[in-house]
Amino acid sequence: MPLDLKSVQFTRRESDDMSVATQSATERNGSAPMPPVLQIAGLSKTFGATRALVDASLDIRPGEIHALVGQNGSGKSTLIKALAGYHAPDGGSVAELDGEPFDLGHTVPDGLRFVHQDLGLVLELNAMDNLALRGGFASGAMGRVRWREQEQETRRVLARFGVDIDIHRPLAAATPVERTVVAIAAALQGWQGGRGVLVLDEPTAVLPHDEVERLFAMVREVRSAGTSVLYVSHRLDEIFELADRVTVLRGGRVIATHAVSEIDAPRLASLMVGEEVDPDYRAPVAARPDAPVVLEARDVHGRWLRGVGLDVHRGEILGIAGLAGAGVLELPYVLAGVARHAVSGRIRLPERSAEWSDVADAGDLGIALVPADRGREGIVAEFAVSENLSLSVLGRLGRRGRLDKRAEAELVEQWTERLGVVTAGPGAPISTLSGGNQQKVVVARCLVREPALLVLCEPTAGVDIGTRVAIYELIAELSRNGLTVVLSSSDAGDVLAMCTRVLVLRGGCVAAELGGEGLTEHALVSAMEGEDR
Amino acid sequence: MTPLTSVPEAATEPPTARAEAAPATPGPSRAARLAHGLAFDRVGAVYVWLGIIVLFSLWVPETFPNLATAKQILNANAITALAALAVTIPLSARVFDLSFAGVITLTGVVVAHLIAKDGVPLVPAIALGVLVGLGIGLINAVVVVVMRIDSFIATLATGSLIAALVTMVTKEVPITDAKLGAAFANIGQTNVDGVTLGVLYCAVVAVAIWYLLEHTATGRRLYATGFNPDAARLAGVRVDRLRFLSLVASGGLAGATGIVLASMLGSGSPTAGTPYLLPAFAAAFLGATQLKHGRFNAGGTIIAVLLLGTGVTGLALANAPQWAGDMFVGVVLIAALALTGVQRRSTRAG
Repeated sequence: MPLDLKSVQFTRRESDDMSVATQSATERNGSAPMPPVLQIAGLSKTFGATRALVDASLDIRPGEIHALVGQNGSGKSTLIKALAGYHAPDGGSVAELDGEPFDLGHTVPDGLRFVHQDLGLVLELNAMDNLALRGGFASGAMGRVRWREQEQETRRVLARFGVDIDIHRPLAAATPVERTVVAIAAALQGWQGGRGVLVLDEPTAVLPHDEVERLFAMVREVRSAGTSVLYVSHRLDEIFELADRVTVLRGGRVIATHAVSEIDAPRLASLMVGEEVDPDYRAPVAARPDAPVVLEARDVHGRWLRGVGLDVHRGEILGIAGLAGAGVLELPYVLAGVARHAVSGRIRLPERSAEWSDVADAGDLGIALVPADRGREGIVAEFAVSENLSLSVLGRLGRRGRLDKRAEAELVEQWTERLGVVTAGPGAPISTLSGGNQQKVVVARCLVREPALLVLCEPTAGVDIGTRVAIYELIAELSRNGLTVVLSSSDAGDVLAMCTRVLVLRGGCVAAELGGEGLTEHALVSAMEGEDR
Repeated sequence: MTPLTSVPEAATEPPTARAEAAPATPGPSRAARLAHGLAFDRVGAVYVWLGIIVLFSLWVPETFPNLATAKQILNANAITALAALAVTIPLSARVFDLSFAGVITLTGVVVAHLIAKDGVPLVPAIALGVLVGLGIGLINAVVVVVMRIDSFIATLATGSLIAALVTMVTKEVPITDAKLGAAFANIGQTNVDGVTLGVLYCAVVAVAIWYLLEHTATGRRLYATGFNPDAARLAGVRVDRLRFLSLVASGGLAGATGIVLASMLGSGSPTAGTPYLLPAFAAAFLGATQLKHGRFNAGGTIIAVLLLGTGVTGLALANAPQWAGDMFVGVVLIAALALTGVQRRSTRAG
């Protein structure tokens, strides 16, 4: 949104002006369907030989939360980007907002607001500056910013969502949910009243489990003010909790639109995937309490960790679960010896050596890590599939520094086949692969190092259901073949699907160990949240 | 960003079926490889270069299209090419070495001083000169990698320190002496049928860097470090060590270039390196748009030097005004980077 300093007037920036249009509840429950606030028809988009969207249509009613679901590559992103004016669609599409036609892909009406997945915030700046970057600064003569007014305005805008943030602190220090609030508030600034649609693109992708509820409350608050919400997600549980209607995309086509009350999870999942998929999938893995211990760690301290100890048995998949801040995301990096901050504690691989090492030197033990953030820490986006895969073992491919391209090609072919990576070929840029296939390449890169132990961090983040199960099966198969795995995830579903034994972290310590019959979703979630809650 | 070209149908197949679906990779036919090798988006600069040659051959047919001009272009751009190759190594790891121009000046002055004023024999003087270059590279590496100062500003700062050192040694007066006319002059001035040794050095260095970046594990790791240092580090690449060594290498190479330049000039000039700062980076960045799609590479750098050098020489022969050469470099650089930016965006979306 362009920064328009001249048009800044407080009276025009009332974000709760939207409440003028409060007819939502009656409309949602009314029997006769209201005329849609946003209507799109005949939207197609072709990239080269790929048809990303084929004749898609969508209508969003006033005051509803409309979910848009689909796997990666189903066309969700393309549709959102066309709405946001980023992609110009192929000819033949029509779009209307509140009865006003607009030129899809070229103009974006004021009544369409977006919160993209990366939130579009400047983390070095505080909440006040971030809001003002979109909505404009309250400025006086000579462009001087009137900070006092600006501060009042910021507090007023944020008060609506009932969150208490230090508006002078850089957002880098804020929690993910606080950042999401700021992003939503920023997107809704300057709303002129009237009807409109707020587009939320996978807003929970970066949120820890316990904060998702707070986000939902905010989304409902937006709806109660009469604004429609287009909620993009691939998490089914969220849709059933939050949405009024749901539209399913598959292979660039709109497969169906249903009222959420008329559909159940397996049905919705099968619409997305195109075949029956069980959301309660459990990978075939065996508990191995009697197998020898492969890894022992004691008294591990770090930024979040406050003395964690664990034993991992050969061939088991040990789960690490917990809420944000419990140390779940830190522990894998510490075990693999790649944490960037000061850590302390002891670690050893008893089958290799009885000597304890400092965890700060764990990098030498041969523990491979699949990092949490695939885009930032996993793949090298500019590299081909083969270059990404072989990166960890380049020294082994060839002699005296020379890189043996034939040995590399053999290695890549062997591993892409073994893990079933779908690609146009080893030379294809990694960025052309779906999230799940990129993840497989990162897993393959770890496995070619023949690690003593594989540590997986958030293995299915940004991976759709179909591929998710494929990744569960892959990891289960690896463990059956003797690979020892530590799996850390803030997604209880991952842990339940793959692990036979789970350590639950709370406040940087191991708060509970669940296994066997005791490992249920209920037990896991209550252990993660703590008895006092 | 969600890759739009992913194959949702295939993604849901069971793993066994997928293994078979993975295409075997037949070697492309010779014609297909040739077409790929000559595609405009890969070697566009070569076509522009050929176009420029045709243009000037028509514009100034008396002086431009002959062997003497060709040799002159090669000789005149040998130092630019060496300098551009020197910065290509750290740039491939996304590290800037802005101090290289200062290093060129410094080693030229140091070697000239050692030979002319101190009576040091040729070989030890050259060795000391290269050591000075490596030493500056080491200082750059310590400042950038150990002290964690952004390479752009860090090497700008060390460049300033070098300039101070040069002024201190020379008092802003070029070092000239009859002793510099003898064996020392042969390093850069010897020519074989009109082509000076500088061109040969260039070819050797270009092949060495091509081999390093294309055919060694180190080269691949340098690129990974440049593109995504976090991912590279987690994949076991020693990112800091590579950045460190890349700066030492560019220091040493710039040092050697300074010695060749001083030999060509026959003196230790206190401003010898300064004019090469921008052309070298221009060539390296223009080169990165060629052959390897966004990767700094030796072949692309050489193509870029030839393109820019030919244009500037042609303009001079055509009696274009003084400013035309600089303008040409600026226009070509912006056009090349803008065009490849457009390409990148459209291929990303596809």
